[in-house]
Amino acid sequence: MIRYEVIIIGAGPAGLSAAIEAAARGLKVVVFDENDKPGGQLFKQIHKFFGAKEHQARERGFRIGERLLAQAVGLGVKVVLGAQVVGIFDNKQITVMIDTQMEYYVGNSIVIATGASENVISFPGWTLPGVIGAGAAQTLMNIYGLRPGSKVLMVGSGNVGVVVGYQLIQAGCQVAAVIDAAAHIGGYGVHAAKIARMGVPFYLSHTIAQAHGTDRVCGATIVEVDQAWQPVPGSEKFLDVDVICLAVGLSPMSQLARLAGCLLQDHPHKGGLVPVCDEYGETTVKDIYAAGDVAGIEEASSAMLQGRIAGNAIACRHGYISRTEFERYHAEYKTSLMQLRGGTFGHDGGEKTQPKHTAEGQPLSQTLLTKGYLDERELTVFPGIPGEAARKQGLVAVLECTQNIPCNPCQDVCPKGCIKVGDKITNLPVMVSSAHCSGCGLCVISCPGQAIFLVNETYADNFAAVSIPYELVPLPVPGSKGMACDRSGAVLAEAEVISVRKNAKSDGTALLTMKVPGQWAMLARFFKPGAALQEG
Amino acid sequence: MYRIENHPILPEFHRGKRVAFLFDGKEYEGFEGEPIAIALRDNGVMVHHYTAKRAEPRGIFCAIGRCNDCVMIVDGAPNIRTCVTPLQAGMKVETQYGTSNEGVTGRQ
Repeated sequence: MIRYEVIIIGAGPAGLSAAIEAAARGLKVVVFDENDKPGGQLFKQIHKFFGAKEHQARERGFRIGERLLAQAVGLGVKVVLGAQVVGIFDNKQITVMIDTQMEYYVGNSIVIATGASENVISFPGWTLPGVIGAGAAQTLMNIYGLRPGSKVLMVGSGNVGVVVGYQLIQAGCQVAAVIDAAAHIGGYGVHAAKIARMGVPFYLSHTIAQAHGTDRVCGATIVEVDQAWQPVPGSEKFLDVDVICLAVGLSPMSQLARLAGCLLQDHPHKGGLVPVCDEYGETTVKDIYAAGDVAGIEEASSAMLQGRIAGNAIACRHGYISRTEFERYHAEYKTSLMQLRGGTFGHDGGEKTQPKHTAEGQPLSQTLLTKGYLDERELTVFPGIPGEAARKQGLVAVLECTQNIPCNPCQDVCPKGCIKVGDKITNLPVMVSSAHCSGCGLCVISCPGQAIFLVNETYADNFAAVSIPYELVPLPVPGSKGMACDRSGAVLAEAEVISVRKNAKSDGTALLTMKVPGQWAMLARFFKPGAALQEG
Repeated sequence: MYRIENHPILPEFHRGKRVAFLFDGKEYEGFEGEPIAIALRDNGVMVHHYTAKRAEPRGIFCAIGRCNDCVMIVDGAPNIRTCVTPLQAGMKVETQYGTSNEGVTGRQ
C-alpha cells in the first residue's frame, strides 16, 4: 500500500489542474489515467479556446494540454498512465490496475476527474463499420493523422458536432451535412458559421433514419421530424457518405463517485447523474472531490478552473496554505469560473430555454440558429458591425459576434483599443472607433470563433478587399484566383488573393485578403480556391 | 490513402517506422507503435469482427478502448482491442468470429 497526500483519477484538464494546484503548495500528488497518453481530450482539441486571457483563450487545446502536463511534471507530480482505477474503498483506499497487476494506494484526499463518455443513438445500421463517435473521428485525425473516411454525415449540431465537422474539413474530408433533431443549432453560432460558409448544409429537425451498407457504411437516409419527434413521411433524403459521425452529447462518468458512496443526483442540464458537490467540488464524502465533466458537462476551460478550485481547497484543508491565502485564490478562480458560465450557453444555473434576444436586446439571428449563418439583413443591429458611413471612410473590422458567449480576445489583442467587450466577457463586442483601425488583422486571427473580418470598400474602383481567417491547406498564394463565397457557402463572384499573412502569433491561422467586386464587400466571407466552375 | 500528410494546424505526425504485419494471412504495412486499427483502416480494412449471435460486422466505433467493437484476434489471442493496441512488426491479426479465437465454427 502506497500513500499519497492527493490521488487524482484522470489526467485531463481538470485532473492535471488539480494536481498542479496541490503540488505547487507542496503536496505529494499522484495522477492515474487509464490511457497511454495524458491530457484527456485536450490533445484532440485543435481549435482555439474561448474565454479571457486567464482561461488561456485563443490558445489551441492541445497546446494547453502540453503546458499543463509540463507544469505538473515540473512540480513533481507523478503521472501514472495505463492505470485504471477499478475500486474505491473506505478511508480513501483505491485499487488500480496497471498492466495486469492490481496495486493498492491510499490518499488523504481524492479528486475524481474521470470526465465524460459519449452518448450514442441507435437506428437501423448504427452498428455498421463507418458509424463512429465524434471523439473517435478526433482521435483518428488529430492524434494518429488518419482521415476516418471521405464523406461524412455529422449527427448532432452541438459544439462537438460543429467543431469536429470543421476539423474533418481541415483533415481533408467532405462534410455532407450536419443534422439535428432539435429545431435549433445547439453549438455556438460562430462554430456553425465556420462550416456553413464552406458550404456545409444544416438540416435541423432532422434525424437519421438508416445507415446503408452490408459490411460498411455506403450512405445514409435522413428524415425530417415533426414537433412530436415523429418522422415526416416523404421527407427522406439520401446522402452519399462513407462515415456517419455521432455527436449526440456526453454523459458524466460518475461510476467511481458512486462506488465511493458519494451522493449522486440526476441533473439533465449537467448531462446526467453527477455527484453532489459543494462550491469547492467536495462531494458528500469528506475529502473526495469531483472536478470537470464528471461533475457536469462543460468546456475544458471550466474543467481547469474546477480542478484548481479543488486543489486549492485540498491544500488549505491539510494546512499547506493559510485560510486567507486560500480565500484569495478561491475568490479569483470562482470569479473566473462564473465568467465562463455566463451568457446564452452558460451553466450559471437552472434550465435554459431558447432565448429570443441577446443580453443587450438585439433579436438573435434565426438563420444562424437554423442554417448556421447570419443573414446580412439581421446583422446591422449588432454593435460590432460598422455602418455604411464608417465603411465609406476606409478599412474597418466587422465583428460578426452575435451571441453572448464568454470570450474577449478581440478586445485584448487590438493594439488601438478599437474593440470593447467590457468586464463582463459575455458581452457582445462593440466597435468603439473604426477610425483608428490599422488593418493589422490581429483580431481576425485571434478570434476563436473566426467571426471577425476586415473590409475595405475603398480598396479600388468597384472593388473591395475582404480579409478572412483561413485555416485550410493548401494555403492559396497571392495572385491566385478563386471564388468568393457568402456566409452560406454560395459562390458570389471570382476573387483574387491579394495577400496571405501568417506568423508565429497567428498559430496556424492565416489572414487571407481577397479582392472582390465592391457590391459583395459585406457578403463575401470565404475564399474557395480554384476555377469558377462550381455552381452557386 | 487515408493518411493526412499536410495539416493546416498540427505539426507533422510522429509515426514509427514502416513495418509489415499479417491480416487474415495477407501482408499489409503500417507504422510501428500506432494502434492496429489505424493501420488496418489505412489499408481499407473496416470489419474487425463478426458478432456471436447474428454475425454482424463491427469495426472502430469509439477509438479509445471503451466500446470493444474493434476486438480481433492478435497473435492468437482473441478480444484484443485493436484501437488501443500498438502495432508491432510481424503481428498476426485476424478477423474474429464470435467471442473466441475458435473461428467461424466457434459461433455456430
